[in-house]
Amino acid sequence: MKQLDTLSYLKLSKIQKIGYKLASFFCAIPKWFVGLFLKLWGFIKAIGLKIADTCVDIVKTFKNGSWKTRVSFLVMGFGSVMFGQWLRGLLFFAFEVVFIIYMIFAGAHWLSQLGTLGTKLPTTEDVYNPVFDDTVETTIPGDSSFKILLYSLLTIFFIIAFIYTWRVNIKQCRINEEILASGRKVKSTKEDMKAVLDDQFHKTLLSLPLIGILVFTVMPIIFMILVAFTNYDASHPGNGYANLFTWVGFENFNLLLDFGGGKTFAFGEILAWTLIWAFFATFTNYFLGMFVAMMINKKGIRLKKVWRTILVITIAIPQFISLLYVSNLFADNGVVNGILLKLNIIDKEHIIHFWGETGQNPWLPRMMVILINIWVGIPYLMLITTGILMNIPQDLYEQSRIDGANAWQQYTKITLPYMLFVTGPYLLTSFVGNINNFNIIYLLTGGGPDNPKLIVDGTIAGDTDLLITWLFDLTTGASANYKLSSVIGILIFLVVAIISLVVYNILPSNRREGDFS
Amino acid sequence: MKKFLAIMLSLVFVVALCGVTACDPNTPQTTEQTYDITVWVSETAGVVELTQQQINRYNETNEIGVTFNATVEGVSESESATQMITDVESGADLFFFAQDQTMRLMEVGALTKLGTKSTQTVKETNDASSILAAQVGDDLYCYPLTSDNGYFMYYNKATMEGVNMDSLEDILAKCVETGTNFSYELEGSGWYNAGFFFATGCTSVWETNNDGEFVSVQDNFNSANGLIALQGMQKVLKSTAYVNSSDAANFTAAVPSSVVISGTWASNTVKEALGDNMGVTDLPSFTVDGKSYHIGSFSGNKLLGVKPTVDANRAAALQQLAMFLTNKDCQLERFNAFGWGPSNLEAQANDAVAGDPVLTALAEQNKYAIPQGQIHGKWWDMAKAYAVGTKAAEMGDKVALQAVLDTYQESIDNAFNVKEVWTYIGKIASLNTDWSTDFEMVQDAENANIWRSKDAVVLADGDEFKVRFNEDWDNAFGNGGGNYVVETAGTYYIVADVVAQTITLEPAA
Repeated sequence: MKQLDTLSYLKLSKIQKIGYKLASFFCAIPKWFVGLFLKLWGFIKAIGLKIADTCVDIVKTFKNGSWKTRVSFLVMGFGSVMFGQWLRGLLFFAFEVVFIIYMIFAGAHWLSQLGTLGTKLPTTEDVYNPVFDDTVETTIPGDSSFKILLYSLLTIFFIIAFIYTWRVNIKQCRINEEILASGRKVKSTKEDMKAVLDDQFHKTLLSLPLIGILVFTVMPIIFMILVAFTNYDASHPGNGYANLFTWVGFENFNLLLDFGGGKTFAFGEILAWTLIWAFFATFTNYFLGMFVAMMINKKGIRLKKVWRTILVITIAIPQFISLLYVSNLFADNGVVNGILLKLNIIDKEHIIHFWGETGQNPWLPRMMVILINIWVGIPYLMLITTGILMNIPQDLYEQSRIDGANAWQQYTKITLPYMLFVTGPYLLTSFVGNINNFNIIYLLTGGGPDNPKLIVDGTIAGDTDLLITWLFDLTTGASANYKLSSVIGILIFLVVAIISLVVYNILPSNRREGDFS
Repeated sequence: MKKFLAIMLSLVFVVALCGVTACDPNTPQTTEQTYDITVWVSETAGVVELTQQQINRYNETNEIGVTFNATVEGVSESESATQMITDVESGADLFFFAQDQTMRLMEVGALTKLGTKSTQTVKETNDASSILAAQVGDDLYCYPLTSDNGYFMYYNKATMEGVNMDSLEDILAKCVETGTNFSYELEGSGWYNAGFFFATGCTSVWETNNDGEFVSVQDNFNSANGLIALQGMQKVLKSTAYVNSSDAANFTAAVPSSVVISGTWASNTVKEALGDNMGVTDLPSFTVDGKSYHIGSFSGNKLLGVKPTVDANRAAALQQLAMFLTNKDCQLERFNAFGWGPSNLEAQANDAVAGDPVLTALAEQNKYAIPQGQIHGKWWDMAKAYAVGTKAAEMGDKVALQAVLDTYQESIDNAFNVKEVWTYIGKIASLNTDWSTDFEMVQDAENANIWRSKDAVVLADGDEFKVRFNEDWDNAFGNGGGNYVVETAGTYYIVADVVAQTITLEPAA
């Protein structure tokens, strides 16, 4: 798209200006993606180069090193001990021993089965027991695909850790040799011990959290991603007592995204509604909350504290209680329908199905959840914006009034830009949060009404189902469809990541940091 | 220093080795008859304590000298099944669960088969429906705990005064008249709505093999009687009083219900809501073409399952404990404490059990009930669909109702690939298909091994296809294992010898 210069831009009419801005935004997206991929490529290249450098260094160390260093290539820690750092050497050696023993007795066993995820099925046998004078069934468990996958992953992590440690062990020898060559003394064990509490203290502090993150966050995520490529579900539980599960490649992605099939694109429909929901849930709350805050802040409004308190009471009640309550309120035989019936506004044949009915217009329940979300969400936004609104310098408003600006102009030129600048990151996080807003949907409609068109792999989804509630149904339902849930999880991540990255990069708070400081 | 190091290093080695051998799972089992076990029972208040007492009593009274160190935990019936399915190994040794979970538990291998003697005892002492519930294929896989998982009618005596509670039409009329509701979860689940079919004598029986897989279904819902059932069901569905729910709290809803069809679990809620006005009885009858049909129901059970184990002694001891926990005395204790209806025949004959109003209503309804047995998990949704279809149809429109039954029949047929036919599928330009559709083939009248494409096909150079059985790629062939590739364009019949696994093209005349 052609970039306009300032003069020709100013010549455009208002609508054309908006069009121009929109067009340039969308034209920038592909460029932005190209930039992202270039960055990624650069990153991968840098890693590749680093690895190559390391290999060269290792070879050099072997060529130029003394026999002590060379032995360290096989017996880890040998060099360190010979150079007098017996604690380091001992730790290196202990690690090597543990690693080798682990690999022989467990690691190799798990890794060898990673390709098939197990082959042995459980066997049962009826045994006669004379004490009880009865036969009993005993079960010898077969391979557990789940364990094979989990422990193989652990083993791979362990191998990577080992290679890293081996590399450090060699590097240590090289450094020591260099130090000795230059006539200085290498650090003694005593000095080492002191260092971990002194200049190396950051490593001491960080080691535990780092291991924690690896084991409790990174590992499960990788495990979950791997599950997406298996047929792990209720009929393939892989628990050692029934069927195994195995690798199926991209079959689950195919099943969910249904490339080239003529069926209804259930995933697309649910994703579309999820995005619509997230958009409305975020922005209706944001603008209405801001509006309410401005109303209460307005000069001349009396009893400000009372209004605020009334609104904040909604927060005081736990959300799930108020949501369940509202869910019953609007049920087919709930209070709202009851009152309407008593007032003869509707008759029993025309009960309003606020939460929808299968095969009927899905937009009433969808609108209901958005409306109720407004009711629950406005108080929070009011509280947040009240503080920020008070922060806007009053002289800006005074000056603009002198210049003849009306209230709307003041709002669009002063209040809104300021608000967007300060709350931009909040908007983004709440948008992402709303994509995964399980509570509201699950407690109000439970995802319903069921839509027979939205059936994937035997599990039915509803008109108000978000991806996250659908995922919940898939995992907890009868089919325990972990494979599909895992794919949905990956796709939710992709959607959220792309939206976050794109939006974050165009946020004023990120781009023009200095503007309002 | 170096000596010290050498000692240290060898120590590390030894310690590591010991660590590994200590983890060895195959250390021999002791013969001592004390077992640590976990038991998951219902969350209902008091069940945990009672079960603990019962296990203690078993420890004291058994003559073999077995002692159980039992950890009894309250886990709801549906949750316990889900937990077992998620991870059998760390699941409980004994667990309570509801009947509809049996096949799911079988699927993940979470149940142990009963021994021959235990099987015989269970069969002799429990009622027929509970035995059916515990049975998969020819064998029993769980122990019946209760026989009260059915449904019947709760009603408000005040609003239903003077109404013939055996007539569905009268009850509905009274509900409409008083502006109250009739709660019957017809569109929610086949569990409730199948009762109309049972009323007219229809049945749906699913058969399982010994591996716990469904092999066939005998279902005659799609019949003249089925049509009558739908006409009856439509009376409820089309009534302005109808609410698709089985929640006893509906008695106190803003638009209150006068009738709720539910089960024993709802009795306390109903008692609280209605007090002395609580009425409970069997389901009513509906009338079609002057003939009256008593609405049927499913009768079901709570069951006790035992987790599989390698150790034969442990398995035997657990089996004995399970037998004990489901015997007459333990069932009666549970009835007295929580009102759980026993499955044990002797316990059922007990005066207190026979005199309980809720259980009496259930027993009354059970005369018209069908034992639930094992039912394919997909059936509940199929059955749900005909209620939704019936509601959408015009009142009394038999053609539309028949269409609903036809759809149902189709989904039943699809549950198994019962068609047993060969089809061809591939990339064929003239049919505008790219491995997406199967095309019909017809079996040769004289040679059963020969299947011929139903229509002549225009094949172009490079068109590819395979033939397959029951739309299953495990049973498919083309040119051997690969695709059959057309070399000379023309109009042909595709002829497959399914035994020799060869394909020939027969030019169309």
